[in-house]
Amino acid sequence: MIKPLKNKKKSGAVLIVGGGIAGIQAGLDLANAGFKVYLVEESPVIGGDMSRLDKTFPTNDCSMCILSPKLVEVGRHRNIELITLGEFKELNGEPGNFKALVRRHARYVDIDRCTGCGDCLEKCPTRYRPRFEVREEAIILTGAEEELVKNLIGTYGKSPTALMRILQEVNAELRYLPENIIHYLAVEFSVPVSVLYRIATFYTAFSLTPRGRHTVSVCTGTACHIKGAPLLVDELKRELGIDVGETTEDLNFSLETVRCLGCCGLAPVVKIEERIYGGVKPGEIPKILKDYRGD
Amino acid sequence: MIKNSGKKRTKSPGKKELAQVSVCCGTGCTAQGSREVLAQFRKLLSGDSQAEAASCLMTGCHGFCEQGPLVVIRDNDKNILYQKVKVEHVEEIVRKTILGGEIIRDLLYQDPRTKRRIIEEEEVPFYKYQKRLIFGNNGKIDPTKIGDYIKLGGYKPLKKALAGAGDTIIEEIKKSGLRGRGGAGFPTGKKWESCKNSKFSSTKYIICNGDEGDPGCFQDRSILEGNPHLVIEGMIIGGYAVGAKEGYIYVRAEYPLAVKHLEIALKQARENGFLGRNILNSGFNFNIKIARGSGAFVCGESSALMASVEGRVGEPRAKHIHATDRGLWNKPTVLNNVKTWAAVPLIIKNGAKWFSSIGTETSKGTMIFSLVGKVINTGLVEVPMGITLRDLIFKIGGGIPGNRKFKAVQTGGPSGGCLPEECLDLPVDYEALADAGSMMGSGGMVVMDETACMVDVARYFVDFLVDESCGKCSSCREGLKQMLAVLNRICSGEGREGDLELLEDLCDVVKNASLCGLGTSAPNPVLSTLKYFRDEYEAHIRDRRCPAGVCKNLISYEIIEENCVGCGACRKVCPVEAISGETKKPHVIDLKICVKCGQCLEACKFQAVLKK
Repeated sequence: MIKPLKNKKKSGAVLIVGGGIAGIQAGLDLANAGFKVYLVEESPVIGGDMSRLDKTFPTNDCSMCILSPKLVEVGRHRNIELITLGEFKELNGEPGNFKALVRRHARYVDIDRCTGCGDCLEKCPTRYRPRFEVREEAIILTGAEEELVKNLIGTYGKSPTALMRILQEVNAELRYLPENIIHYLAVEFSVPVSVLYRIATFYTAFSLTPRGRHTVSVCTGTACHIKGAPLLVDELKRELGIDVGETTEDLNFSLETVRCLGCCGLAPVVKIEERIYGGVKPGEIPKILKDYRGD
Repeated sequence: MIKNSGKKRTKSPGKKELAQVSVCCGTGCTAQGSREVLAQFRKLLSGDSQAEAASCLMTGCHGFCEQGPLVVIRDNDKNILYQKVKVEHVEEIVRKTILGGEIIRDLLYQDPRTKRRIIEEEEVPFYKYQKRLIFGNNGKIDPTKIGDYIKLGGYKPLKKALAGAGDTIIEEIKKSGLRGRGGAGFPTGKKWESCKNSKFSSTKYIICNGDEGDPGCFQDRSILEGNPHLVIEGMIIGGYAVGAKEGYIYVRAEYPLAVKHLEIALKQARENGFLGRNILNSGFNFNIKIARGSGAFVCGESSALMASVEGRVGEPRAKHIHATDRGLWNKPTVLNNVKTWAAVPLIIKNGAKWFSSIGTETSKGTMIFSLVGKVINTGLVEVPMGITLRDLIFKIGGGIPGNRKFKAVQTGGPSGGCLPEECLDLPVDYEALADAGSMMGSGGMVVMDETACMVDVARYFVDFLVDESCGKCSSCREGLKQMLAVLNRICSGEGREGDLELLEDLCDVVKNASLCGLGTSAPNPVLSTLKYFRDEYEAHIRDRRCPAGVCKNLISYEIIEENCVGCGACRKVCPVEAISGETKKPHVIDLKICVKCGQCLEACKFQAVLKK
């Protein structure tokens, strides 16, 4: 580590490169602690990637709700000087007393006079020119996959309702939704991939990882719950060595819980594939599983 | 050819209709092997000599799932009910009952209290006290054959409805007092009227909500599987009344058989001119499509369901503008429950007066409940509104098995509440249940005896709702999570003073700050158990004790030395080998290894295993 020179006076200012959420937060913390902050950002605006997100991990909070108050605060903080369209070139000096060279690119807008009305934005014909290079990746489907998807589109058409149906059929046929098919469908239906992922993760019927040949579903509906379904779940977990929602390594079994299969008269109920076993006791589990172990 | 003891035959022997063997092939009975039974009947009755003896009928759910597979033999005016029929019994039934007219006593229903065997279906207490208007024909119809439905007067109401104006139908429905059977109980006629009169668009839609997600409910499934034409007919009438040209039936992903039967029924209805262009030469065009759910409980909520039909993520929206103005694809839409649609043809057929004569002041007609849990006769029951809970559970349900005590009944699915013994004399209608802190919901009714821990039950429902909350409103998404954390803490014996007040606070916020029905009713299970079973919560928190012996952290198993004969039964069933001991000497449970699965308690024949 380089030690700061003792004799020289420390500048008391900080330069932050990058006006994303990390830079913004660091800038605000430092500015509030009394440092003068220079926030350098390459693009015309601060906010970074977070401003393009819908939700943030892990709390699922709306990202703009977190970000926008901070943007405003940066803009009006007396200790922060924003240098947008700035390119960080070089750094000289030593800890406590650096000298930085930042090249500021032309904005072609007189920022002192601009009122932010947005009329120029409306008027500009090249407004939609992408700022990033679009990565064209080939979507590769195997012959069987392509046939399956094409048949489904042929049967159900290309309406939004059909999309759901096709996803259901693909999931039923392949026991999961492979990434390449999701991308393929996104192109075919002209919807963003994120929309498909949102559907695939919202509904419990879909899986993004391969499921076992036999899906063991324990009904955990109310009637089954009070007649001992939790004990069945425990026993199956032990017997299969996997947790709920997981698949055995040999891809033979997947374990699931389902909220009510509608056979409450037979509670507690276990369903393996389409066969329903009623009035199951934990002791009977190994015997039931035996029939499915062979193949 | 069953001998009619004493009674005079209604038809002359020459013209006598064939005896009919109807085998229940609802999901419950199928799970118990009814399809094999049916195949065996078909095989035995197809022989030359016996072909004339009886016809076979594959039907939907009869409702009495507990006793399945059910076989009803209809001959003249006799309906003999055989229960728990296995393949090996079929030959005997054909030989003795169908050909010989003799009744096999062992297969008859036996009243558990009086030990009396009951021959006729109608005399069985489970059926006797019901009023099966919507459900009645389930046992007489093959759901895959439209002819069976037409024979029983099906599609006549449609003809009658198409002869009149749409407004007269709406007027009739309004007069009948029919209210939405999905739970909220909104007057159906009023809903139709506002959709018809909506100025937003002339394109209108009809939706049947068959996304029966409530755990412990299966009546919609049974209607869709057992009598799909009834629902379809109701929807066509509704479509005509409000001026819609297209309808959707939304069915849960978990109900493949219902989808199959609906597809067959729609095809047959189209072939017979009840669906499609120019229905019955009236100039009215109507079509119905099936939309399948993909496993999301919240899609039972109307606006979420419509989003799902449109192929989007099923999130509810605020309903300042009703679906009857802007619903599916932003067009005026009528969405009703399966049971509501099923009631429509009956009202058109018998008139509003007849319908409104059944039930109470504010709740008319019948309601179908799935009576499940710790009750002797589980299954689907259709009763007039206003019957008391006591009659439902003890007369029809036959009471609690094993001489245990009744503790609570949970109505209305996960958003309903638990009602204790002192509420048993409440009449079942929308208002009375809501006043007691529960709700009608879509008709789930789970009976609990003293072995159910009410804290665990509340925890179970909140756990369910945490999974199923769509995550749109933070009060529901985060509030339920916190409630679950507190309830988990209480169940695992780490409850603190003040937890109950905290729960009540959270309930209040979730209830008042959420958008859709899921969030606003989510605290019901917690609030109602807190209201009626507060002492149980307190036992968990103060005494670190689960009075019902359910919460695993608060119980332990032990072998009583004096009672144990050393038979080894418990040792053999123990999945983790926690029990040891020599043969004919008392065994011991190693509590460090024990996973508290309770199998030893069940295996022991000498009451030597103690749970405390």
